[in-house]
Amino acid sequence: MILRVLLGILLTLVIVAALGLPIVQQPQHWYEFPSIPGLEEKARIIFFHVPTAWLSVVAFLTSMVFGIRYLRRKDPEDDLTSASAAGLGLLFCVLATVTGAVWAKFNWGSFWNWDPRETSIFVLLLIYGAYFSLRSAVEVEEKRATLSSVYSILAAVTVPFFIFIMPRIMTGLHPGAAGDPDGAGPVIEFKMSPNMRVVFFSSLISFTLLFIWLLSLRVRTARLEYHLQSKG
Amino acid sequence: MEFLAQNQLYIVLIIAVGIWLGVYLYLFRLDGRLKKLERDLHQEGK
Repeated sequence: MILRVLLGILLTLVIVAALGLPIVQQPQHWYEFPSIPGLEEKARIIFFHVPTAWLSVVAFLTSMVFGIRYLRRKDPEDDLTSASAAGLGLLFCVLATVTGAVWAKFNWGSFWNWDPRETSIFVLLLIYGAYFSLRSAVEVEEKRATLSSVYSILAAVTVPFFIFIMPRIMTGLHPGAAGDPDGAGPVIEFKMSPNMRVVFFSSLISFTLLFIWLLSLRVRTARLEYHLQSKG
Repeated sequence: MEFLAQNQLYIVLIIAVGIWLGVYLYLFRLDGRLKKLERDLHQEGK
């Protein structure tokens, strides 16, 4: 209960700070963000775009962990958790794509540029879209659970490659790509001021807490549905 | 219209906070309802 209230307050504060604090050329006060050359006001979207992409990775890895657990213990609840995590991962992946496309329109000129990171998130959307078609195609419960657990493991193995490796070894528009004059690595390390980092990491923490809450709600709903179905 | 043009950022902020609070209240109520259903089911099982 307290955690949920804290999450509500924290994420509200993050939204207010991310969108409300002024961005100026020469910050004089703690509440002013410095203007990042090339980004200016558009820098604000980083507080939402990166956490959603981060959460999709967390969700896909959670789906894999519960997939492994299902294969070991054959507990239907592990399968429910694995599928719920994959569903949330897909949702956050779509959010990362949409926020990224809006940002790309104003920074790079068009909504979609087939940059390595854009291509990799597109492939991930296809991979996890296929996960749900697989689930809906198999009617026998145990077979569906086993197949989708194996699929979730195979799919999650590709996630680090698509998110962390491929966009860094190829040249692209995102920061941290091969050939970036600022060097490889995440943008936060070399361009964010301390107050931006506070908002950024608070956003990461609150989005992660939101994911945990959403996952628990989905699992509890699925559990109730499962009990009612097995009763009726 | 001039007011809207001059305060774009704050209007975006108000809309974003409004959407988040709507989602949050929905999740909070859903959590409460689920708790009630779980309690009912638990008592039925006893």
